[in-house]
Amino acid sequence: MKLRAIKGIILKDLKEIRREKMVLFWIFVFPLMWITLLGGIWGGESPPITVDVGVVYFNETTPFTAYDVVKIMENVTIEGVHIFNIRTYPSENSGVDALKHGKIDALIVFPKGFGANITRGLQAKVYVYFDKSDPQNYQIVSGAIKGFFSEFEKRMQEKSIEITFQYMERYMPKETSISIDEIKKHLLAMANPLVLEEREVKGETASAIQFYVTSFIGIQFLFATMISIGAGTLEEIEKGTLRRIAASPATAWDFLIGKMLSTFITIMVSIFVGITYAKLVFGETVFPSPLGWLIIFIAAVFSMSLGLAIAMGTRSIKATNAIVNLISMPLLFLAAIVIPESILPEWARPIANYFPLGRALKDLRLLELYHRPASEIMPDVLWLALGSFCMLVIAVLLYNWAVKRLK
Amino acid sequence: MNAIEIKDLWKSYGDVKALRGVSLEIKEGEIFALLGPNGAGKTTLIRILAEGLGYDKGEIRIFGEKLSKKTARLIGYVPQESIAYDLLTVKENLEFYADLYDAPKDKIDALIERFELPAKKKAKELSGGFKRRLNLAISLLYDPKILILDEPSTGLDVPSRRKLWELIESFKEEGKTILLATHYMEEAEALADRIAIMNEGKVIAIGTADELKALIGEESIIQVEGLLKGIEKLREEFPKLIEKDGILRIQVKNPRESLPRIVEILISQGSEIKGVKVEEPTLEDVFLKLTGRGLE
Repeated sequence: MKLRAIKGIILKDLKEIRREKMVLFWIFVFPLMWITLLGGIWGGESPPITVDVGVVYFNETTPFTAYDVVKIMENVTIEGVHIFNIRTYPSENSGVDALKHGKIDALIVFPKGFGANITRGLQAKVYVYFDKSDPQNYQIVSGAIKGFFSEFEKRMQEKSIEITFQYMERYMPKETSISIDEIKKHLLAMANPLVLEEREVKGETASAIQFYVTSFIGIQFLFATMISIGAGTLEEIEKGTLRRIAASPATAWDFLIGKMLSTFITIMVSIFVGITYAKLVFGETVFPSPLGWLIIFIAAVFSMSLGLAIAMGTRSIKATNAIVNLISMPLLFLAAIVIPESILPEWARPIANYFPLGRALKDLRLLELYHRPASEIMPDVLWLALGSFCMLVIAVLLYNWAVKRLK
Repeated sequence: MNAIEIKDLWKSYGDVKALRGVSLEIKEGEIFALLGPNGAGKTTLIRILAEGLGYDKGEIRIFGEKLSKKTARLIGYVPQESIAYDLLTVKENLEFYADLYDAPKDKIDALIERFELPAKKKAKELSGGFKRRLNLAISLLYDPKILILDEPSTGLDVPSRRKLWELIESFKEEGKTILLATHYMEEAEALADRIAIMNEGKVIAIGTADELKALIGEESIIQVEGLLKGIEKLREEFPKLIEKDGILRIQVKNPRESLPRIVEILISQGSEIKGVKVEEPTLEDVFLKLTGRGLE
């Protein structure tokens, strides 16, 4: 191994990169764009969701009416945000029509006699229409509305018990074997058998910014690393300089080590820019631990080897770029690089788990975002290292084959 | 001592035979030219010597040792195309190749000065002549004993070509052996001590320019200039004929007898003759005699 030749190749590549405007874009501008864009959209605290609810009710003269329920709904807030955005419709048909056309998320119909039944202490019916074509939206909307009515029902029970207490105090004999307070307690327990008390805990899960910082690292593996080394080597072939290098005392390994290290340094600079920028602008970031950096290095070796293998197989810069894009684009999603694995369909999850770059990123996230112990990650790291080594051997064989063809 | 010895060298690309039993001996300190048209096998031979291109059969010795990565260091190679990296400056390119060949960096400034190169200019900003000089400077970084130049003056203007020739002659004065591949007979004639004429993968003649011209024998060259017509008709009677840039060169044994006949045929075919002269043979005439066709 000729260290001076390796150093020469690294320095030469870094100087070329520094003067290549497109490469500078990918190293410095792209991280800033990615973090700014996604951090700006999904970063920070997400506000409570507002549900557009249509209501249909009839005028009644009873002390308590559907109108009172609607008023209560309008005033429900979470962290100062009104949960229900109420729109009144004159008829059930017009309300259903609005729901069908997506103008509202749900329609609540209070039939005639609703207020009278409630006032008289009888069962009162309420009809709720949901659009189930979007299961996720249905889950949120039905949860909010059912939650409201469940709470409303509870309050009604409490009110009814309160009235019962007033009657008990007024009409029950004072001298009984069981005290009125005891009876009150039991009645309260019948109305509310469970007392649910919310207590807030600040979780240690990843923020959106942290997630997108790791996504950005994954994107650099998939695109910049693969294309950089593949196209870089092909340029040397096309220009004729690789023949010259091959004729020099430097070996194929010297060339490849130099090329890979210069690519790795470039990607590290880009990752560092992204990490620092997220911290400066959004106040949070992911700064990998030594094991995290090791995972990044192993993934980079895999990615560089794959890029080199594709380039040596196609021996065309255009074809290499096309194949890398063809592989990378779907993998951004299917390997859970830019979206969380939890929202992937069942059939796509094996890709995120078994495609080495997806797996590497998952391990990086488990380690850095979810603070899993290193011992849990290590077996994966060893498998990834083995996979990367195998890919490297394939790439070197293809490189040697390509150089032989040059001769 | 022979700097390069090649014995019965064969090389083919699939069905195409690029070299067919080439044998050469190039003496230490001489300028040796390989002259031949494109496709004659010159570049293949040079790439075998300088770039380690594989060959099918034969033997190559450099200063008595078999050609290997070790002996390759004795050879500096200046290819036709620029080997400089466009985005690197002249000096950075030299520094890179010095690292690659483990050559001392203290020679870089001297080379920049000798070849009058603009050290801080990027390679992509250099003219063709400067790019060729940079190639030369790169090949001299590790002070090779043999310098191989592939078509060194192709694409250069006359002043750049003259400058390059001066440099090549100065390398000879320093004791370097120079192997030059060219299809310009003027270049071979002006620079080379000995010339090998190659055609279709074979060396068909070797010698000094005078020795090669002597192969023409008693024959003379009639040169006709003008708006010429009926060349094919003329070729039927005078087959040793080359036409280039509106000038006809015809090899004849007896110019006194042939000249009137040539003029007669050309005029009868509608040519407008501007000038006729009898000349000394050139290397191109030698090539014509040996192969029956011109160099280009």
